[in-house]
Amino acid sequence: MNVEYRGVWTLSEVRDGRIHPVSYELLAWGRDLADTLGVPLSAVLLGSGVTEQAPDLIVHGADQVYVVDDPSLGHFRADSFSKTLAELVNRHKPEIFIASATSTGRTVMPVVYADLATGLTADCTELGIDTKERLLLQTRPAIGGNVMADIKTPLSRPQMCTVRPRSKKPLPADPSRTGRIIAEKAEPGALSSVMKLLEFLPEKNVGAPLQDAEVIVAGGKGMKKGANFALLEELAALLGGSVGASRTAVDLNWAPYSSQVGLSGKSVTPKLYIACGISGAVQHLAGMSASDTVIAVNSDPEAPIFRVADLAIVGDALEVIPALIGRLKS
Amino acid sequence: MTGTFFGNTDALRERYGKITPEILREIQEAAGAKNVVAGDPEALESYASDEAGIMFTSMPDAVVKAESAEQVAAVMKVASKYKIPVTPRGAGSGLAGAAVPLCGGIVLSLEKMNRILEIDPVNRVAVVEPGVVTNELCKAVAEQGFLYAGYPMSTETSFIGGNVATNAGGGKVIRYGNTRRHVLGLEVVLPTGTVLNLGGRIRKDTWGYSLMQLMVGSEGTLGIITRVIVNLEPKPGKTVNLLVAFPDLDSAVDSVAKVVRTGISVISCELMDKLSVNIAASHVNTVLPYQDRADAFLLIQIEGDSDERLEEGYEKVGTLCLENGALEVFVAESRTESGMIWNIRQNLAEAMRAHDPYCSLSGDMVVPLSTVPEMVEEIRKAGKERGIAVGILGHIADGNLHPIIFKPAGMEPMEWAEYAEAFYDDLTSVAIRLGGVGSGEHGIGYVKMPIFLHSKPAEEIEIMRGIKRSFDPDGILNPGKLLGS
Amino acid sequence: MRIGVLVKQVPATENVRIDEETGTMVREGVEAELNPLDLHAVEEAVRLKDRLGEGTEITVISMGPPQAQKAVRAAIAMGCDRGLLLSDRRFAGSDTLATARTLAAGVKKAGGFDILLSGERATDGETGQVGPAVGQVLGMSVLTFVSAVESAGKGSLVVRRAVEGGHERVEAPLPAMLSVVKEINTPRLCTLGGKIRAKKTEIPVLGADDLPLPAEHLGLPGSPTKVVKVSYPQITRSGKKVSAADSVDGAVEEILSVLRGRGIV
Repeated sequence: MNVEYRGVWTLSEVRDGRIHPVSYELLAWGRDLADTLGVPLSAVLLGSGVTEQAPDLIVHGADQVYVVDDPSLGHFRADSFSKTLAELVNRHKPEIFIASATSTGRTVMPVVYADLATGLTADCTELGIDTKERLLLQTRPAIGGNVMADIKTPLSRPQMCTVRPRSKKPLPADPSRTGRIIAEKAEPGALSSVMKLLEFLPEKNVGAPLQDAEVIVAGGKGMKKGANFALLEELAALLGGSVGASRTAVDLNWAPYSSQVGLSGKSVTPKLYIACGISGAVQHLAGMSASDTVIAVNSDPEAPIFRVADLAIVGDALEVIPALIGRLKS
Repeated sequence: MTGTFFGNTDALRERYGKITPEILREIQEAAGAKNVVAGDPEALESYASDEAGIMFTSMPDAVVKAESAEQVAAVMKVASKYKIPVTPRGAGSGLAGAAVPLCGGIVLSLEKMNRILEIDPVNRVAVVEPGVVTNELCKAVAEQGFLYAGYPMSTETSFIGGNVATNAGGGKVIRYGNTRRHVLGLEVVLPTGTVLNLGGRIRKDTWGYSLMQLMVGSEGTLGIITRVIVNLEPKPGKTVNLLVAFPDLDSAVDSVAKVVRTGISVISCELMDKLSVNIAASHVNTVLPYQDRADAFLLIQIEGDSDERLEEGYEKVGTLCLENGALEVFVAESRTESGMIWNIRQNLAEAMRAHDPYCSLSGDMVVPLSTVPEMVEEIRKAGKERGIAVGILGHIADGNLHPIIFKPAGMEPMEWAEYAEAFYDDLTSVAIRLGGVGSGEHGIGYVKMPIFLHSKPAEEIEIMRGIKRSFDPDGILNPGKLLGS
Repeated sequence: MRIGVLVKQVPATENVRIDEETGTMVREGVEAELNPLDLHAVEEAVRLKDRLGEGTEITVISMGPPQAQKAVRAAIAMGCDRGLLLSDRRFAGSDTLATARTLAAGVKKAGGFDILLSGERATDGETGQVGPAVGQVLGMSVLTFVSAVESAGKGSLVVRRAVEGGHERVEAPLPAMLSVVKEINTPRLCTLGGKIRAKKTEIPVLGADDLPLPAEHLGLPGSPTKVVKVSYPQITRSGKKVSAADSVDGAVEEILSVLRGRGIV
């Protein structure tokens, strides 16, 4: 069977020319898997002028880094990135290849797996190895988080999946680690893209993109009106976080769609999630219940959000949040 | 007829006992100290008004959040002993001021009695405490394949106890009737503390006068409902929702009678005029198709026991509306599409309040279906004559109309409260002339009392007063409501 | 221009139950509907047709059980011209790759499209990888998370994509596969006329034998991934409950102590 496929790969993500920290989370997952299997862990790094950052991936757990450093890879494009990745996979044959479930990962991996005709599991929250069969065990929520499914890819290789950001902490940087940095070349055909990036329009939003945020302050219908989201922005700024919203709040135009948390929005896993005036419909819980710590403020003592809260404040968010802001400022 | 605003209730208050520290202690003993709120104006304030609006406010002296019928009975005994007025209260979502403690005293809140005690599939009933949110009851019985057919539009906030006390109507009356039709049994605490068990898990009962039906719609003036047995319907067939845009109100109103006559099972038929739709749509940040051109919309829910029957039904109703001048008929079959259609209607009341905190939602007249066009015309005329903005909503197939009026800029709230009720009083007179009544579902409470007493034959009022006396000789239960003092 | 839309029928509820024995979803008695996120793809297709005018035709394609033709009809009622249902017992158990290959074969059978649209993901499976995979199998430009189609025609289009931290404007040649996000538009309601037209529209059903696909690419045998276990997550935390009614300051103090405990302040 596929004995020629060996080793664990992670896809490193580059944004604004820098390796994004989500790449180190993947390495933490990859390290576990590679150690259990007794195989090397490789990071794949695609970009323009990124070679000098490759050692950072070693420091965070990789045994080796495959780097394709080419001016044509300066911006993410689905076609050239996926062609290059497919070429590398065919050349080196890893048994496992994982990427983050970011917009980049969720764009490039479906193209690569379809090209390679193997399996791909979306948005995993837990990974392990079935040691008896030497198979990757992929766990993912489905149907609004109602159900967790364990999925295997018994025959096809590589076993591929995307992993939810913040589902694991990066390993601490270890400058004493050593590893190989391997410069790879891709065929010119693979590097060429038919897509043209015309422009990037940054979101006017407080703090980091929602999926990267360590702290999310989210608001729902209990915020009463759109103007009150300014309070959440103020609190988020004080805590170094970003603002999220329930579907109702987005539908009422109190917050942009990009900040919607839940089934029809984003799944987030910050260190801290503060839900303000959000009742906690199943769809919302599906997108945030995996947060490390949840604080919920809601005037309805029976609000479902309290079921997933570490701290449940029964009260009006419009009273509690300003008071909290006041204390944080003083 | 004016005088809706409370003005001076001191004279009324004089007739009753005051809650002294000793009496308070007795109340605390009766209900448990943790269930009694007193001396904290901030905590009491939220029990001083209901959805009739901020113009109708009167502070209670104490709030009792009872946990059982025994506690209610014990509190009533104390109240009875010292002649302390008691105002029962559910969710406080009523629109007629019935839950406002006009004479101070005790507000007896049933919010803690919020358990669904039993869903009995054999007898097809649910046994619930009065503080259950109606929507929770609907959801719980639906999980077991049943329907609770009561559907006040406030279903997500109102309590079943309040629905019974006001004989609530709402969006499905055309198909299922109002709350009276769904109540099979009641446990009631009388002002003396006596507990009555009326009706039961049965659908036939000719065992004397129906005191149970007398309780339904009595607005807390005869007894306090502590347990309700409701009838459960089999789960309905499939439904589809139509949103129909009309160029003018008349063709919309005119279509309703024709739709009803088709014999197709209509579950809801809601009318929304241009002004209401504009306010609600902007509140939920959406735009309905044809919103710029249509003067009125009908929202029609149709039931069918099979896909074929359902299709046949909505095609017939839709075609009929188009023939009757409708601009367009939209069909929502799936959950998501139906949600898009109902979103506006369900957010209407909230949207109106957000648009104008002083808007009056208490208009609730009912007329025979045949006279609805005339009633609508009178409403429009009255608005024009007085120069106030009127939005017209209605459970139109029931002939139940909710004219909603907005406070003119610059008018004082006090003046506005009287002005608004005078407006409704005039329209109520019209409704009565057309063979209708002044309230279809909100009840009389305090807000509608003057016109009620003025327009009902004196003989009827006298019989009602006699009934009130035999239940509540000292008049401590919800004084100043429905029949006055 | 030829436009295609991929749609899926999904359960109209979040409260699904799983058959413990088979590990599959209990569909009995559960209403089904067109995937709500696909409504945006259908809407965008109809808007594109309005923009492009004469000669533009929209075909909606779904794979699923025979009842899924209802989802296809719902899309036609919104303004699509034709429908195609891929339905065969042998498609059962398809994972995203088998589904993508089957749909791609269906697209070929339908004559191919200049623009192919899908919703961002289905609300049941939530993978979001079928649309892009179909695009790849068919050799189309793959554009995910599309939040606006700025222009389309003359062999290329310009779209906006919602990505972390903002939107990017991308130009790509046709044929192109677009998976669209919710913010792209507000789906229209279907009219009675649309419903009646949809009812009258014949929806061809293609089975495994009608598609140029080897048997080993179909259904369970054609699915590299296998679901080996299904469980219900316990998301209940026994958190501390504090009432702010008694004291807002007390509640704030509780929040601060959590923030300190987690090293956030």
